[in-house]
Amino acid sequence: MRRRFTTLIIVLGFAMPALGQTQASRIPRMPDGKPNLTGLWQALGTAYWDIRDHSAQAGPFYQLGAIGAIPGGQGIVENGDIPYKPEAAAKQKQNFTDRMKLDPEVKCYMPGVPRATYMPYPFQIIQSQNDIAIAYEYATSNRVINMGKRREAAVDTWMGTSNGHWESDTLVVDVTGLNGQSWFDRSGNFMTENVHIVERYRLADPDHMSYEATIDDSAIFTRPWKISLPLYRRKEQNAQLGEFKCVEFAEELIYGHLRKR
Amino acid sequence: MNTRVFASMGLLISVTLLLEARAQTLPAVSGKTVAASKGWTAPKTPWGDPDLQGTWTSDDCIGTPMQRPANIGERLYLTELEIAERETQLARQTENDKQEFLAADTRAGVGPPPHWGERARRPCRQTSLVVDPPNGRIPDLTAEARTRRIPEGAGNNNPRPASWEDFSYYIRCITRGVTGSIFPVIYGNGAQIIQAPGFVTILHEMVHEARVIPLDGSPHSSPNIRTYMGDARGHWDGNTLVIETTNFLGNKTGLGLNGGGTPTSDALKLTERYTRTDANTIQYEVTIDDPKTYVRPWKVAFPITQEPGYQNFEYACHEGNYAMFDSLSGARAEEKRETR
Repeated sequence: MRRRFTTLIIVLGFAMPALGQTQASRIPRMPDGKPNLTGLWQALGTAYWDIRDHSAQAGPFYQLGAIGAIPGGQGIVENGDIPYKPEAAAKQKQNFTDRMKLDPEVKCYMPGVPRATYMPYPFQIIQSQNDIAIAYEYATSNRVINMGKRREAAVDTWMGTSNGHWESDTLVVDVTGLNGQSWFDRSGNFMTENVHIVERYRLADPDHMSYEATIDDSAIFTRPWKISLPLYRRKEQNAQLGEFKCVEFAEELIYGHLRKR
Repeated sequence: MNTRVFASMGLLISVTLLLEARAQTLPAVSGKTVAASKGWTAPKTPWGDPDLQGTWTSDDCIGTPMQRPANIGERLYLTELEIAERETQLARQTENDKQEFLAADTRAGVGPPPHWGERARRPCRQTSLVVDPPNGRIPDLTAEARTRRIPEGAGNNNPRPASWEDFSYYIRCITRGVTGSIFPVIYGNGAQIIQAPGFVTILHEMVHEARVIPLDGSPHSSPNIRTYMGDARGHWDGNTLVIETTNFLGNKTGLGLNGGGTPTSDALKLTERYTRTDANTIQYEVTIDDPKTYVRPWKVAFPITQEPGYQNFEYACHEGNYAMFDSLSGARAEEKRETR
């Protein structure tokens, strides 16, 4: 018994520091040594309902019963609440009340950044030696992170203009040119076209990535604030990006009143 | 500003549809083994795959008919004289596009200015986009395929749409299908290819399609999972990217421009080949095999090119689909007026 215990200590003694060291070196890397983020990723949790801490509650349609109820969960906003200015806080509450009419997700509009990251759908990163593409399952939305010479946003768009660079093993993406029509979640948390977002992607180990986004929008927030959450590599044997072209699921809602009676 | 851009986009889509309805009767291409230019070495990615990356456009074959006119027979390529004529035509078009304002006596339409469209920069050398069968004609439809409903285009054939379902999947901003996403149309022909170890992705600007193509040799996904863009698997044949795509939803888009024409079936199998032949050219080829729809397989091929300054933009089609709203509300308003 004692010998087995000693062996255990020896094994642990060797293994523990080795584990710590290998986390960073064990991650997949590109031929030039940069981390390779390529793969199918997805967030867990309920931030897609509300990026703030929230209790479980009934959904808007009682006919859906428990299926349509909103699960409670921890938020992804660091250090508490979103620093809305008073008028903006009021607008968020109104957005929440009118969310079935106003939430762009209801209409199958592009999700914008950072919302696309933690929706309940996976996304695929395709990392080349130059640019990096992200294809999101929801609404076939996608974007390209320009890793070359900085490119300014030519026009405002739903998914924004992304310029990336590496800071050590972290991919830092500067997102500008967002059109301000996207929300952060299904609870009416919103931004304006003045928003500037900086995302940080870092592999913690081969199957986990830490994601952070700093949100700066002085039109409605009193200070920049940050969200952070882990992303998980999808490990199912046949995991692959699906197709969720949701336009046709929203047409009756959007155009139904214009159908010939 | 956004509203204006979106509204103009909607209009442009409508105009595209109108023009393409007209262009749909045309076709043709190569079928030979594609060879790289002499003295040029195909680039490789740092991990050793052939490197096809860049933003490519099928612009040069805009206006090349899908099917070859019967009187041209089995001649796939234009004659030197025809190419010279085409060059003159392109030069004239470039001059016209430079005009900022219409001449005083011109009747102005509701469409966008001509220079909004994309233009060929050099003549496409083919007489049709269809290269096989040798006569450049699309094979006959099966009896059952002939009975399939074809959704209308921009509503120009159906001025009184009863609902959005009377419009094509393109006009509804859902998809143009795989071939519709790359066959040349009057604008939005950009396709950006980005590669990673184990994957190729093709991002088509119009309707913001993203095809993620695994290269790992894995089998197709379950036949119970069906999609508009199909289930794609790729592999390298020398320097050629070969993509096999199956698992399509049946009876959605067709093989015409922008996914128009007779809808294909759930038996459709596409085999595409992307071969880079020089720094700025990829020869594209697709074999269409759909025994439930066509009596024999057929093949379309054409070059796609990289052009300085050409860049994909976000194509927020559904988000700005004022054309759909306006067409339906217009139809309802007319009905109301008539019943008064």
